Amino acid sequence: MAKEECKALLDALNKATACYHHLVLTIGGSADSQNLREELQKTRQKAQELAVAIRARLTPPLRDRGLGAEERAEFERLWVAFSGCLELLEADMRRALALGTEFPLHAPRRPLVRTGVEGGASGVAARALSARSLRHEGERDFDVEDLHQLEREILKVGEMIQDMEMKVNVPRWTVQARQTAGAELLSSASAGVSSVGGVSVQQRTGPCDLSKALAATIFSAVLLAAVALAVCVAKLS
Amino acid sequence: MRMRMERVVVSMQDPDQGVKMQSQRLLITVIPHAVTGNDVVEWLIQKYCIAEDEALHLGTLLVQHGYLYPLRDPRRLLLRPDETPYRFQTPYFWMSTLWPAAELDYAIYLAKKNIRKQGALVDHEKAHYDQLHRKINHTWDLVVMQAREQLRAAKQRRKGDRLVIACQEQTYWLVNRPPPGVPSVLEQGPERGSCTARQVQMTVDFYKREIECCRKALGRTRVKSSVCLEAYLKFSSQRGPHDPLLSGCLPSNPWVTDDDTYWAMNAPSVAVPTKLRVEQWAFSFRELLEDPVGRAHFMDFLQTEFSAENLSFWEACEELRHGGQAQVPALVDAVYQQFLAPGAARWVNIDSRTMERTLEGLGRPHRHVLDDAQLHIYMLMKKDSYPRFLKSDLYKDLLAEAVVPLETKRRVFPFMWKPRHSSPSLALLPTSTSGEPEAAAGSPGGGDGET
Repeated sequence: MAKEECKALLDALNKATACYHHLVLTIGGSADSQNLREELQKTRQKAQELAVAIRARLTPPLRDRGLGAEERAEFERLWVAFSGCLELLEADMRRALALGTEFPLHAPRRPLVRTGVEGGASGVAARALSARSLRHEGERDFDVEDLHQLEREILKVGEMIQDMEMKVNVPRWTVQARQTAGAELLSSASAGVSSVGGVSVQQRTGPCDLSKALAATIFSAVLLAAVALAVCVAKLS
Repeated sequence: MRMRMERVVVSMQDPDQGVKMQSQRLLITVIPHAVTGNDVVEWLIQKYCIAEDEALHLGTLLVQHGYLYPLRDPRRLLLRPDETPYRFQTPYFWMSTLWPAAELDYAIYLAKKNIRKQGALVDHEKAHYDQLHRKINHTWDLVVMQAREQLRAAKQRRKGDRLVIACQEQTYWLVNRPPPGVPSVLEQGPERGSCTARQVQMTVDFYKREIECCRKALGRTRVKSSVCLEAYLKFSSQRGPHDPLLSGCLPSNPWVTDDDTYWAMNAPSVAVPTKLRVEQWAFSFRELLEDPVGRAHFMDFLQTEFSAENLSFWEACEELRHGGQAQVPALVDAVYQQFLAPGAARWVNIDSRTMERTLEGLGRPHRHVLDDAQLHIYMLMKKDSYPRFLKSDLYKDLLAEAVVPLETKRRVFPFMWKPRHSSPSLALLPTSTSGEPEAAAGSPGGGDGET
């Protein structure tokens, strides 16, 4: 019903925000590239869509005065988590704008900071979008256009937050969180995550490490040799 | 200063003229972009033409502010000029981007660490965790959700990248929430806040205002520094022996010996004042009036001279000035009846002009209506009664009776390292080699410190 839907959407938004945060970490560093900027754009657009959807679903119950106390408490809890998530997203978007302006990709005299992070982050973005993989299709000056777009989106998100504060009155300090201290240690298996499309996508475990492949081949070779030896021993005896 | 450090870090990244980079090998993973402390110091010396200690100091500043972090001993943020490897911090975690650190972010970081270490957090982190749980309890759901998701997102990366990012985050929080005992570089001392000079527009208006300011400053009356300094010297020499820090306090400094006899003996209302206190009354009339014991004795003296109504009037005016607003009309009326009305019981002698002005003002009473009269009486007492008081027998008796507390004896126990009397009293020494004039500790008479 409505609450479960909201919860599912909120989990998806949470996932998108976490992935966006993870991607923004690497702007300006050695992993910064056009692909990264594209991934950032896709992730944040997805997050914004989710935010609009959640808001549309959460606002009516909270403005409905006839709602029961328990139901209302539940919705308020979701609302607090939602607005917190949105604020985290907005803060990360602002930082992305600041960093993106400071470290333009194609400026000749502004090298990127060599931080040691090298690999691509398409896996992270794919996770945010609940897709199997990501296609990169940007043009050369993508990052400059993207920054303008980002500015507009930041303004939109800011307005949305402002609007939310005006329309729905939820005093945050009265909300009792359900998770206790140390709750994250219990079953790290997420509590009922189902992505938007209703289909839980199996996440790829990322590109196989060369070392893992090597270890696997050596192990299988040793196993084969052991089997062959056992067969020989059995035949001879 | 942060921007300058960031510019230095960025110029270190230049592929041709930057710092030499190496790779770090960890078992099977290889992570590039490591620099040795030595290379950093040499690069700084070469680029900015500075000496080695300055380069070392600059490098240490970079590490302490989190722009560079050590790879082997991440908790000790200092730059070693040897082969210890360091790595650059990602711009996201630079001070200019992410400052001040938010409580929610710290909570998420601690929750992530909790998950990774299966609950084994360091002591101060555990304390912070509990404190945050109380403070931002309402968003704790979000904290747990974000912590779990951020860890899952991190798993999508290669192992090397994951390690690097974890180190980066750890460094950021080591700088922004240092463990107890480590000084925080983010604390701004008193002198740093003063250089907040904003860019001022050099317009015509600005210059006009400056000229006006300077003109007003020229017109102000100034005292010659020779006069000022003389007064200052006189003040210091007079007050030197009375200062507990400079001349020690008897019987002993309560902060050192935990013995509060000193405070008990110098309480506002005490039966027998100390000698230093009685001597202080001779410095100025204000000192005498401000001390309750002094004021009481002065009142006694005035009663022998039959001019006690002056002091009573002055006290009544003080009460008016500092009292409640609602009592003002009643008090003004009472004062008038008692002191100012012709034929009053305790009539005070005010000159005719002040009296006229005061009587006019009484029609509309406010708390400052008696100020002129009070000042007149004050000056009268100061010029007339006060010098007589200082020469009187009453005062001389007070001086003779005043008590000089004895210095507490040192304890005999040899293992008491704490000195009982850390500020020795020069007042009891027979000769004063510090050159303090005898007049300060000597005669009480003729000492009107006010100019």
